Amino acid sequence: MNTRVTWISLLVAAALLAAAPAALAAAETPSDSDAKCLKCHGKKLKKKLENGETMLLQVSGDEFGQSVHQVIGCTGCHRDVPKGKHPSRRPISSQRDYSLQHNETCSQCHAARHLDYKDSVHANMVAAGNDAAPVCSDCHSSHSIQRRAVYEPVSGEPCSACHQDIYDAYAQSVHGLARSKGNVIREAHIQAPICADCHRSHDVTAVAAIDYLRDTCLECHDVAAVAHEKWLPNASMHMQSVSCAACHSPTADRRVDLQLYDNLKQVPVAQQDGDGQYQARLQAIDTTGDGLDSIELWKLVRQGSRRGEAIDVTLRGRMEVTTGMDAHRLAPRGQAVRSCESCHQGGANGFQNVTVSISTPDGRKQRFEADRKVLNSVVSVDSLGDFYAPGGTRIRALDGLLVLALVGGLAVPIGHIALGKYLRGKNRNQ
Amino acid sequence: MTTVAMKHASHQQRQQEKVYLHPLPVRLWHWLNALGFLLLILTGAQIRYVDLFSLMTFETAVRLHNWVGFAVIANWFLWFVYYLFSERVTNYHPDLDPKAFFQRYFRQAGYYSWGYFQGEERPHKVQPQDKFNPMQKLTYQFVMFISAPVTFLTGLMMWDVQRFEGLIQMVGGLRVVNTVHVLMFILFVMFILVHAYMGFLGAKPSTHFKEMFTGYEEPH
Repeated sequence: MNTRVTWISLLVAAALLAAAPAALAAAETPSDSDAKCLKCHGKKLKKKLENGETMLLQVSGDEFGQSVHQVIGCTGCHRDVPKGKHPSRRPISSQRDYSLQHNETCSQCHAARHLDYKDSVHANMVAAGNDAAPVCSDCHSSHSIQRRAVYEPVSGEPCSACHQDIYDAYAQSVHGLARSKGNVIREAHIQAPICADCHRSHDVTAVAAIDYLRDTCLECHDVAAVAHEKWLPNASMHMQSVSCAACHSPTADRRVDLQLYDNLKQVPVAQQDGDGQYQARLQAIDTTGDGLDSIELWKLVRQGSRRGEAIDVTLRGRMEVTTGMDAHRLAPRGQAVRSCESCHQGGANGFQNVTVSISTPDGRKQRFEADRKVLNSVVSVDSLGDFYAPGGTRIRALDGLLVLALVGGLAVPIGHIALGKYLRGKNRNQ
Repeated sequence: MTTVAMKHASHQQRQQEKVYLHPLPVRLWHWLNALGFLLLILTGAQIRYVDLFSLMTFETAVRLHNWVGFAVIANWFLWFVYYLFSERVTNYHPDLDPKAFFQRYFRQAGYYSWGYFQGEERPHKVQPQDKFNPMQKLTYQFVMFISAPVTFLTGLMMWDVQRFEGLIQMVGGLRVVNTVHVLMFILFVMFILVHAYMGFLGAKPSTHFKEMFTGYEEPH
């Protein structure tokens, strides 16, 4: 099966390589209609915008001629032009506003893609007013839109334009290196993933969303679950409570994230739930400002109420890496963390940093600092019932009880022997 | 009759006069259980305290703990089935008169703290179907019918969290299960220390140990 996949991959790659230069080279002669547009827009036309920006209205005829949109011509997107008076004197508030308007234009032909995009983390950020969040033209450009194959290869474009640091980490990972070296992994030709293969291209999902990333890894690494079960006790629980990168990015700093989870709805508690009561409570509950302690966490889980409804929230713990860069520094299998002791001992690196999180509308997490001692507190038996790593998150109060038991267990014989000596001595004296 | 034969006959006669307290299945169970519990305590402590001592790797400790755990559970069933079908099951029967029982309980405690040192007669007459004094009886009932099964059950839940997910959630989560398991571990640590010491409190320090090997009651 692998051989077949490899051959198909090679054929597809060859076809794409052949198509890419062709797409670049084949600049079509503009239609009469487009030629009319280019007559003005081929020059360095500019427009002053309401926010003071100057928008360049120039379009490169060559670039547009090479674009996949050449066939629909200028009016394919600028449909208002033939209908009304042009040039329009209608004011444009900003370049960003203009891009946002044309985001809807794309949806007229690319409805399915646009629907995907509308659920994405990017679209959610746009809706939240984030001006840096990408719209269609930020990734695809306005007038030199190319086939996917043209800008997909090793460079990481267009994602790296915003996520350069993460791309750099990826480029040095087992995936990035394999990609740059002709997709050779363990002497076999295997298509290594690039950004969109894991994060998707339009319905880009927040990697923090529960189970999303693990399931994505397992799409290619379908034998990983079985492979882990061969040596790792409670493998499925590990794969649920430990992110793949926590072990497979061996140099990464780790932390434990305790995500508020609604047991009744079986979904993570979202920022907007209960009119944002959890967000407000999380901000208000840490009265000392030194991170949530175990009592505060217990209060959060047990004493909340939502408009009188019955609620049942819990904290779902998960070990993960601390930064996006770390999440992309995936090493070859042989370098992955294999030693149980790296987590299962008191003071392990991964348990020194603890956050509590709630989901934002786009699936990302809003994090609140927590005291690392919450993992070892007896109070957490109730509030943190499902996250436990033997050794690493052991309850310290039980250690004290064990010492007491040892002292008590030794005190019985020692006390009894001492009592015997005393009584025998007393008898002898009498 | 030769001297050797006479000695042999005399030994047999003495053995026949002695009370047969601990049948072979019970002795087998006891020593296997002792070995199993020591290994479980050792590997359990290693799992919990990797940062304090390192007799073996965490992975080895977990595997050994699991295997020995299953062996000890199987051994418990050996004990349970034997007593279920034996007239000696009366050793574990509860006393229906708590007042009288606790009077005898405190008399036994008084013996250990005073009479034992004065050479007094033991207050409890040991018989095959009533071999435990009240202190032993209460302790062993608790250990065999509560502590051990609870430890086995919580251990099983942690051995395969996914398989026992429903049960784990029903009792309040993995942390609850682990806490109960560790509390039982702490109890067993204390029990074994006291139990081993009590073993020395026979007529001679070796008396009870001999009994647990031969099955016959030694002279007191």
